[in-house]
Amino acid sequence: MVGMEHAWLLPTLPFAAFAVLLLFGPYLPRRGDWLAVGALAASFLLYALMLADLLGALDEGPFQGVASGIDWLRFGTFHVTLGFLFDQLAAVMLAVVTFVGTLIFIYSIGYMRGDPRYGWFFAAMSLFVASMATLVLADNFLLLYAAWEGVGFCSFLLIGFWHERRSAAEAAKKAFITTRIGDVGFLIGIVLLWREAGTFNIREIFEFAEAGGYSREYLTLAVLLLFAGAVGKSAQFPLHVWLPDAMEGPTPVSALIHAATMVVAGVYLVARTMPLFDLADPVALDVVTSLGLATVLLSATVGLVVTDIKRVVAYSTLNSLGLMMVALGSRDVTAAMFYLFVHGFFKALLFMAAGNVIHATDRQEVTQLGGLAAKMPQTAAAFGVGVLSMAALIPFSGFWAKDAILHGVSTHQNALVTALVAFSAFLTAVYMGRLYILTFTGQPRDHHAYEHAHEAPPVMLLPVLVLAAISVVAGFWAFDGVGEALGFPGSIGKFVFFEEPEELKFPSAIAVASIVAVLAGLAVAGWAWWGEARPARVLAERFRPLYQVLWHKYYVDEAYQWVVDRIVLALGRAIAWFDRVVVNDTGVDGTAGLAVFSGFELKFLQTGRLPNYALAIAAGALIAAAVLLAVRV
Amino acid sequence: MIPIQHFLVLGAILFALGVYGVLARRSAVLILMSVELMLQAVSINFVAFAAYLAPQEFRGLIFAIFVITVAAAEVGLALAIILRLFRNRATANVDEVDTLRW
Repeated sequence: MVGMEHAWLLPTLPFAAFAVLLLFGPYLPRRGDWLAVGALAASFLLYALMLADLLGALDEGPFQGVASGIDWLRFGTFHVTLGFLFDQLAAVMLAVVTFVGTLIFIYSIGYMRGDPRYGWFFAAMSLFVASMATLVLADNFLLLYAAWEGVGFCSFLLIGFWHERRSAAEAAKKAFITTRIGDVGFLIGIVLLWREAGTFNIREIFEFAEAGGYSREYLTLAVLLLFAGAVGKSAQFPLHVWLPDAMEGPTPVSALIHAATMVVAGVYLVARTMPLFDLADPVALDVVTSLGLATVLLSATVGLVVTDIKRVVAYSTLNSLGLMMVALGSRDVTAAMFYLFVHGFFKALLFMAAGNVIHATDRQEVTQLGGLAAKMPQTAAAFGVGVLSMAALIPFSGFWAKDAILHGVSTHQNALVTALVAFSAFLTAVYMGRLYILTFTGQPRDHHAYEHAHEAPPVMLLPVLVLAAISVVAGFWAFDGVGEALGFPGSIGKFVFFEEPEELKFPSAIAVASIVAVLAGLAVAGWAWWGEARPARVLAERFRPLYQVLWHKYYVDEAYQWVVDRIVLALGRAIAWFDRVVVNDTGVDGTAGLAVFSGFELKFLQTGRLPNYALAIAAGALIAAAVLLAVRV
Repeated sequence: MIPIQHFLVLGAILFALGVYGVLARRSAVLILMSVELMLQAVSINFVAFAAYLAPQEFRGLIFAIFVITVAAAEVGLALAIILRLFRNRATANVDEVDTLRW
């Protein structure tokens, strides 16, 4: 029987597929796409068996996860294991990685057909899944960090998949460098934790921290540095700038990496290290909340004006990631992981449905789309489900998860934070409604694109429809009955939790407020953009300065550009000057020049005349004798 | 017994004469002779110190014999060089032999 101790197989299967595709890809039939899909599907089956094993163990009482692995490095008493830990947190995350991943791989068969680097695409995607599974299962920070950089590297490769396009190459570079900024903090944080505890093992570090091994300030600094890594990877303000640009990659990449899995790695990291955040100063969780809230508000407002269909979905991803961070800032791991779980489904659905639109019309700007519901009804319906899930309308899955977050926020945070999160729910409904209306309803704005549009082929449609169905029902895991019927100990609150199993509650006040906010948002979207979208244009004209600020995404990119141009490059110029003038001209050239000059001058001592040399010898001997006498005396 | 200072002064005078000869003379043969003079001045010092400081031993004397032997070998070599020089340049004047320079 395959069980939790076989966790190492989970990343190994896709990695083996990657290795085979890399070495023999061109010689395989269909360039090996079946191998990548098959390996990931096998991973999913393995995951299902491991989950069954986990549920069996849960029945027998409190469960802490099963660790397995082999020695990796050993220096004297210090050793690091290549260790894997399978517990509830990893189980939720891996459900998204393996199941949604498999669907996206199948979808890619259709979406990437005919691409000159078709085989390489599947190789890189397999490597990504292997890294992601390692990241989720790692039982120590060193392995986690290695996998963390691995997914970042795969993200770089896949954003720049069409690197002939300059914008794609630039976006890949931007994503890599921006996330690196956070990763440096992450690495320092890991080293800080290790320095005191002497181990990288996450469990042992928790025990060490609970025993009071770290001082409060030290631990606060360490977890804030860990959070810096999460800020980069999960694209929180102020390092969010790379995620919208990452949409330059192929759509399956956006769906898998930049929506369902990699970008939630930061959320996963904070959830995983929640015991440390809990022991640290409350200011650490306040920072998490603040940055999450800033991301939520920024993305929800910018989403109102962006015209690229994929970018709107990207801003909605930022919105969701911010929400999860706010939930974590409220110590509500259950709500964050619940949202992460359902978000993986409906966000992948949104991206893939958007991919169908792009595939069919070859257009990405909503200003060139419109009326597509008539041409591609199934995609439109699926996209509608995604929109309503994202907007969190009852009874779609997003509603239950978002209400869990709202409930957690309202119990742990002050009224202002709650009000802002609720307001963001309204904004989300507005811009998601706008996206649907502009893409699928009204008159086609580009008739040429409209004429060519057609429903997606089955290989691309089927994954979308499966995800749409799941997006409708996944939220019902919030109820004990549904969880028990599936073999879980109850609702998700009894499966993934921090400290104590909890019942998910949906107080009527919050539910009603949320439903009202969403319906109001959808109504506003309908009023502003339906048909000719005249009210939207009037509003944009009336509040032109505000519209400009949103259109320029709060000038964050411009601010970074200014910093780079004025400060980084100025500093670079100063250092370059120092290098050129002091190090090179004085240090290197100066030494050589001195040797040349002294050689040129001193060569005249070589007269070739014997008497000169004899005189020098005699004089030297006399001087030496004189010095000797003087020193003696 | 003659005081040792007499021998040392004699050696010093001979050495100084030799130095003067090396510095002032232009003929390679005469410079060679001056070098011999300096060598013998040193030999005198060796013998004098040997006789005064350790009359029962022969260390200083052995040194003197060594100096004479080395000087003989050196003269053989140096004269050969000077002979070749004269054959090539038709001169033994060291002022005219200055090609080994910058």
